[in-house]
Amino acid sequence: MTDTSFITIVSGLPRSGTSMMMQALEAGGLEILTDNLRRRDEDNPKGYYEFEPVKKTKQDPSWVAGARGKAVKVIYSLLYDLPSEFAYRVIFMERNLEEVLASQKTMLERSKQAGADVSNEKLTEVFRLQLAKFDDWIVTQKQFRILRVNHREMITSPLAQCERINRFLDGILDLEKAATAVDPALYRKRRDNP
Amino acid sequence: MAKIKIDSKLYDRAKKAAQSAGYSSLEEFITSIIEKEVAQIESPADDDELAAKQLRGLGYID
Repeated sequence: MTDTSFITIVSGLPRSGTSMMMQALEAGGLEILTDNLRRRDEDNPKGYYEFEPVKKTKQDPSWVAGARGKAVKVIYSLLYDLPSEFAYRVIFMERNLEEVLASQKTMLERSKQAGADVSNEKLTEVFRLQLAKFDDWIVTQKQFRILRVNHREMITSPLAQCERINRFLDGILDLEKAATAVDPALYRKRRDNP
Repeated sequence: MAKIKIDSKLYDRAKKAAQSAGYSSLEEFITSIIEKEVAQIESPADDDELAAKQLRGLGYID
């Protein structure tokens, strides 16, 4: 039976493995909140698992109540907008920043979109500060519980990571199915440091 | 006019880069780079806005 006492949030920086985590949760039997508006492409061949109303949570958080018992992807900067009257369990993806930025760059180039027009060094500094600020903030928010999952470890030892995640989510996942959903072939920007 | 010294290999690379980037001279190219860098140091862009611009480009926020 679905536990509707909390909302599962998959979060992190864009290109930190949030879609991979959503795939694992879905395979593990957790209901996913997505509208599939953003079509799968070369950057996310298995889909983005996004839910468009998330982007407008600040203006209209009415979708949140319907997310109880489900998993939804919310990037780190939009977590600030979630209403405080619900309980959230956040699976926060952590990935080498160099890999994240390389993957973001590829995605921007492929989609012919402009990102921040600054050096890689500056962008690394910006995101480091953004994450530090986020870390300081989330520990003060009682509505959130957070589990940090390393992107590389999720790929190299999916079963061990899925066991951690399952404990965090009170044992609602089919572990084997969740772990086998992780596709190492999609790890394409690997750097030396995890 | 002030002068600065740079490594001769870097000078050659910069000269080629200036040409391929469409600058009329190496001086114009170097002045443009220095102006951009100095402006960034003198008035650092707001980090939140930079992050937002990147996230918007990637399609994760409106």
